[in-house]
Amino acid sequence: MDLLPVKPLACILFFVAACAYLVPAGAATPREIIARAVLAEDAGAKRDFIGQLMGQADPAIAPLLEAWRTDALFIFTATDGAKIPVVLTGERDEAGTQTAARIDTGAALTAANGQPLRLVVADLAAADHTSSLRRAMKAVLDLADLAASEPAKRIKAILTIGLAQDAEKLPALQARLAIEPEESVRRALRESIALAQLKDDRDAIKLAALGELKELRSLASTDFLTRSLKESEAAGKPALARAAREALRSVESHRSFVDFFGTLFRGVSLGSILLVAALGLAITFGLMRVINMAHGEMIAVGAYTTYLVQNIFGTGITIPFFGFSLPIFGLNLTGAAYQWYFIAALPLSFIAAAIVGIGLERSVIRFLYRRPLESLLATWGVSLVMQQGLRLMFGANNVQVSSPTYLSGNWLVNDIILGWNRVFVIGFAMLIVFGMWLVLTKTPLGLLIRASMQNRTMASCMGVRTERVNMLTFGLGSGLAGLAGAFLSQIGNVGPSLGQGYIIDSFMVVVVGGVGSIGGTILSAFGIGGIDQVLQQYLPYIAPGLSWVPGIGSFLQNLAQDAAVFGKILVLAGIILFLQWKPAGLFVTRSRNLED
Amino acid sequence: MKQKLTSLLSVGALALGASLAPASAAEAVKVGVLHSLSGTMAISETSLRDVLLFAFDEINAKGGVLGKKIEPVVVDGASDWPLFAEKAKQLLEQDKVSVTFGCWTSVSRKSVLPVYEKNNGLLFYPVQYEGEEESKNVAYTAEAVNQQATPAVDYYLAEGKKKFYLLGSDYVYPQTTNLVLLEYLLSKGVKLENIGGGFRKDGSGKIISAGKYTPFGHTDYQQIIAEIKQFAASGDACVISTLNGDTNVPFFKEYAAAGLTAETCPVVSFSISEDEFRGLPAKQLVGQLGCWTYFQSIDTPANKKFVADFQAWLKKSNVPGLVKEGRVTCSPMVLSYVGVYLWKAAVEKAGSFDVDKVRAAWKSGISFNGPGGKVTTQPNMHLTKNVFIGETKADGQFKIVKSFQNVYGEPWLKGKFQAK
Repeated sequence: MDLLPVKPLACILFFVAACAYLVPAGAATPREIIARAVLAEDAGAKRDFIGQLMGQADPAIAPLLEAWRTDALFIFTATDGAKIPVVLTGERDEAGTQTAARIDTGAALTAANGQPLRLVVADLAAADHTSSLRRAMKAVLDLADLAASEPAKRIKAILTIGLAQDAEKLPALQARLAIEPEESVRRALRESIALAQLKDDRDAIKLAALGELKELRSLASTDFLTRSLKESEAAGKPALARAAREALRSVESHRSFVDFFGTLFRGVSLGSILLVAALGLAITFGLMRVINMAHGEMIAVGAYTTYLVQNIFGTGITIPFFGFSLPIFGLNLTGAAYQWYFIAALPLSFIAAAIVGIGLERSVIRFLYRRPLESLLATWGVSLVMQQGLRLMFGANNVQVSSPTYLSGNWLVNDIILGWNRVFVIGFAMLIVFGMWLVLTKTPLGLLIRASMQNRTMASCMGVRTERVNMLTFGLGSGLAGLAGAFLSQIGNVGPSLGQGYIIDSFMVVVVGGVGSIGGTILSAFGIGGIDQVLQQYLPYIAPGLSWVPGIGSFLQNLAQDAAVFGKILVLAGIILFLQWKPAGLFVTRSRNLED
Repeated sequence: MKQKLTSLLSVGALALGASLAPASAAEAVKVGVLHSLSGTMAISETSLRDVLLFAFDEINAKGGVLGKKIEPVVVDGASDWPLFAEKAKQLLEQDKVSVTFGCWTSVSRKSVLPVYEKNNGLLFYPVQYEGEEESKNVAYTAEAVNQQATPAVDYYLAEGKKKFYLLGSDYVYPQTTNLVLLEYLLSKGVKLENIGGGFRKDGSGKIISAGKYTPFGHTDYQQIIAEIKQFAASGDACVISTLNGDTNVPFFKEYAAAGLTAETCPVVSFSISEDEFRGLPAKQLVGQLGCWTYFQSIDTPANKKFVADFQAWLKKSNVPGLVKEGRVTCSPMVLSYVGVYLWKAAVEKAGSFDVDKVRAAWKSGISFNGPGGKVTTQPNMHLTKNVFIGETKADGQFKIVKSFQNVYGEPWLKGKFQAK
């Protein structure tokens, strides 16, 4: 316990040491330097000023540069024409004015008579910045970030230095390695130190660095290792070349490991998307045998509901509702509260799509049970009507659904990217499947649904109100499609023809799985998703092996270059062959019904 | 009700005007507008029709061309390429228009080209394209590849980028542009292994296509993003994207989710302008680059006046189906607008509406100070103009970070750049 205070102390000590090492004597204060950088006309001069901040420990630097990067640093023009860089401080009053602080001194901005000036954001020009300038600022912040409290920030800073092979910063990295407690950060430090050392003139250090990179299996080092290998071969240093080759081999084997598990993850995530999109159809088409071409539009209804909820959480929206303007008021939430809109949208999109589905069942589909061809035509018509309806209400352009912050990051596990939105869709798919299993097998409604779907007439004879059960089942299927829409709004576009992109995939999944079998739908979704991703990943590797095929060798190779498209074609071809072999899909639902 | 009455009255007045028209027929010159007002391309092309009508109104208010009022004949290509050819035929043979402003996609241009060549018509084409074409019957106000793609590469090289990943939608413009870019990058000393996205070779091993391509409407960018992430792991990498339309949304969402940012690995997109941001979430693209010959954010009095005048025209105009809210100006729109004025200048210089004479005037070199700065016509039917590189901001506008002055439009670029 009593060791704890040592850490911050060590950090400070390290920082002081780093500063003593890097700060030129007798320079202007960091605040003055930033003020000059803001006012400099030339982009190069700006960069030079920022460069002077490198390694300085003034706590004012980070917030000021951050303000600059985010357009919160302004240039105030005084009455005498002098330009003064300022940041706004203090509370905004009713007129929207705020007090301001000068950048160069940190003191409050005052008028000639000594009264503090109050400024309005809209009247001020934000100091401009370009990507190269932001990179320069980032380099400064990176070095300061070496001592940041969050490990992720430290790792980012360390890798930036390492990739630049900046030998000057080696002492700072080594000093940090001596006191760094976090294992993942230590790894990044070792990687960056080794990368920087590859540039060293001494062979022994280079050799050690190569050994280190081999042990670390650092993906980032591939290019550096290749370069190092070429240099050593050219310079006639076999020991170095051998070490570089070994390091490269170890990195390559790590890469194939990452590719394999990455592909697996991507396959599961694509499978989950297919599953979520197809699950509703597994009920309306699979169980109820309605060839529901409007399934895609149910997905769109869910997605647009998410869009509406987002706007209600935000500033509201006006919908041109068939000639009338329908204003919907917003809650004007901001920050964390606003981010919850997506969670609120999930049940609402289910309900909205379920209501539309029930409406559709009552108005059209109930007259068409047992007449699959008519139901195909009718639902196709409905889908066109719904698309046009969405276009009239929300416009022909795609609408913008933003991703909440908790869905727009990733975990990096052993160099494999696990996007939060992808992890979420996998969990979400499992949850829906589990929920559906509960409803279908553990509730009275589920029992009635299964009874009616197996034999409507018999169920009706036993006193089941099959009309009502049909309605609810179709509502359930449509609601699931709506849920899918809410989720798909996070992955792709939300537009009037959103559903068209998923309808074919959904039918494919349900048919391959076996119409009527939920388990088959799950298996086929993951199967199709997995095969698609595997082909995308490995076709470019397999292709060179196909060049021996006479006549079409180079054609095959080139097609494999477009693995995204060619993979899809192969999957489709595979499905066609599979259905020749097993026309009823993976799982055949048998019944004693004479009609089947 | 009152409003309805006035609009009825104005319709009546218009009808009256139309019936009076024959008396003043000699005072009008017919001009064709050939864009898709329905179908998938309508979202983009309707904006061009709007800006053309705005330009005609502006010119008519100042007395027209050679004393004649411009009378637009607007036809709908309906995003249907063979229909474009039929409509072009109708414009040239029935309506006998003096000039046509139209087309967006390269395939629509290729489809109407024979019609214009056969009838010796004149088409003004305003949208960035792949080059490798030079017809005496087309005035290309559009950006050639060296007025968009190669300046972007120059910018990246100046920023110290060493690895370039090429990505595009699978059709003629990205394919041709990327082939030119491949040659350009090699000529700048970038090594073949530092160009990402893969290559396709013919039987003899010659590269016939460079870069990664996805079909229209592609949504699953996971694998490509993982590839870019590995490509960019060693630093100094960037992406050159010719992805078109709404496939950009899943691409940039996935890009951000994988932890790639404009600071670690920037993306320059050639198909996203201000107008596209009406249907694209700009938030995901903040800091990413665009490259055009015009941005709405250009800070000159001429541009400010143009933007203000266009907005004012939108407010008072009664063109049916005109979207009045949230409108912006973008490069294809400005190149349409500039085209109208260049045509006017060429007609006035030639003193005639005759296509051959107007073309001769164009080839002699005419300048016009447009919203994006000065443009000058060239003997090869293209335009010399300024090129700008901008960073996307959260409001869907661009912050200009670099400009190239007076870039000569060069359509024939394949094989022009030789590897060192």
